[in-house]
Amino acid sequence: MIRAAFRSLAVLILALVAAVAARGEVYQEPGAFVAEVFGSTPAPKVLWLTKEIQAQAAEILGHPPAQLRQRYWSEGGKSVWILEETGKEELITAGFVVVDGRIDHARVLVYRESRGQEVRQSSFLKQFRDAKLSQGNRLDRGIDGIVGATLSVRAMERMARLALFFDRVSHG
Amino acid sequence: MSPKLLLLLFLRRWHARIGFTAVVFFLVLALTGLVLNHATDLGLDARYVHAAWLARWYGLAPESPRYAFRSGRHDLIAANGRWLLDGRISGDKFPQPVGLVELPDMLVVASSASLHLYRQDGALIDWLDRGALPGVPVRAIGSGARQLVLRTALGTFASADAVSWRRAPRGPIIWSTPAELSSAERERYTELLEPGISVQQLLRDLHSGRLAGRFGPLVVDVLALFLAVLSLSGAWLFLKPRHRRERR
Repeated sequence: MIRAAFRSLAVLILALVAAVAARGEVYQEPGAFVAEVFGSTPAPKVLWLTKEIQAQAAEILGHPPAQLRQRYWSEGGKSVWILEETGKEELITAGFVVVDGRIDHARVLVYRESRGQEVRQSSFLKQFRDAKLSQGNRLDRGIDGIVGATLSVRAMERMARLALFFDRVSHG
Repeated sequence: MSPKLLLLLFLRRWHARIGFTAVVFFLVLALTGLVLNHATDLGLDARYVHAAWLARWYGLAPESPRYAFRSGRHDLIAANGRWLLDGRISGDKFPQPVGLVELPDMLVVASSASLHLYRQDGALIDWLDRGALPGVPVRAIGSGARQLVLRTALGTFASADAVSWRRAPRGPIIWSTPAELSSAERERYTELLEPGISVQQLLRDLHSGRLAGRFGPLVVDVLALFLAVLSLSGAWLFLKPRHRRERR
């Protein structure tokens, strides 16, 4: 009886650990990030990815975008893009605030990889501040890498470019 | 014969023997290491090998699908983290669905904490996680008045676009319910939905020896020692005659 109870408890703990691992390290819920940026949560908007947008997004990402529409939030000249991109093996969820075609600030919201969490440090993220798109949908500056987190850094850079590109096309 | 020459001969002989014995293993280690270094660029983390014998080898007990969700012309069967939507496999790490609903312009699959929106041709429109849902867990999905309806722990909500949600108005709702599969269907779908192992995982386990079970890593440890011995004996065999010539 006691053994069965212990076994059930162990299974429960394992299931909880697995569930937490599957969700990754949540630094901030995306909804909370949007609410923080705007003071409250405005109604989400949708950007449909036309074939042309898909082609350019694929060029930025190096692979076709996973979905055909992108939700975003926009109010008073400010837009928020919550994007997901694979670092090494798992998805990284990051939020980008774009004002006047420049990144106001970026934040890593959910990190699911086992290594490379350094990309959430403000010392890394501040490199994106005021970044804008230059020719060929590239950032107007180089982003310094982090040893051991190269793929996560690249994923963050791709997402930053995509956020700026989506912001530009969302304004028509 | 001098002891130094004897040592040299001994080393040369064993250097050749160890090298020859382990050549296949070293090649496997080198190739898997090389490929693993570029696994993400090669997309190996997203490629899965689906084979019953491999799943058995990994100790994965394949789960048989018990029911299907059907809506209009569409059907969804799920097992082992895989979805078979209208006969097409949708992925390898998918949650257990709670229902499927066909709307005029999209097809929606709900799990307890996510919604997957597809175009009629199966292309993914959007994926909504718990933060974008009006409430979790999602207990049921249905449709009413051409809108998507979710029954969640926080109440019942409706949406026309799965972006903006409001409390569901009173009215008839058709809820998605599972339909039991026949034993023949179950057998067919079990085969189609066999659990998979990512190619990256497979290579990693081959490289570390874990694919061979408990003692695999020990074998790789021994090979690593062999490699160290080969490096040292190789260096010795290279340097010693040179050193002797210089002294002469």
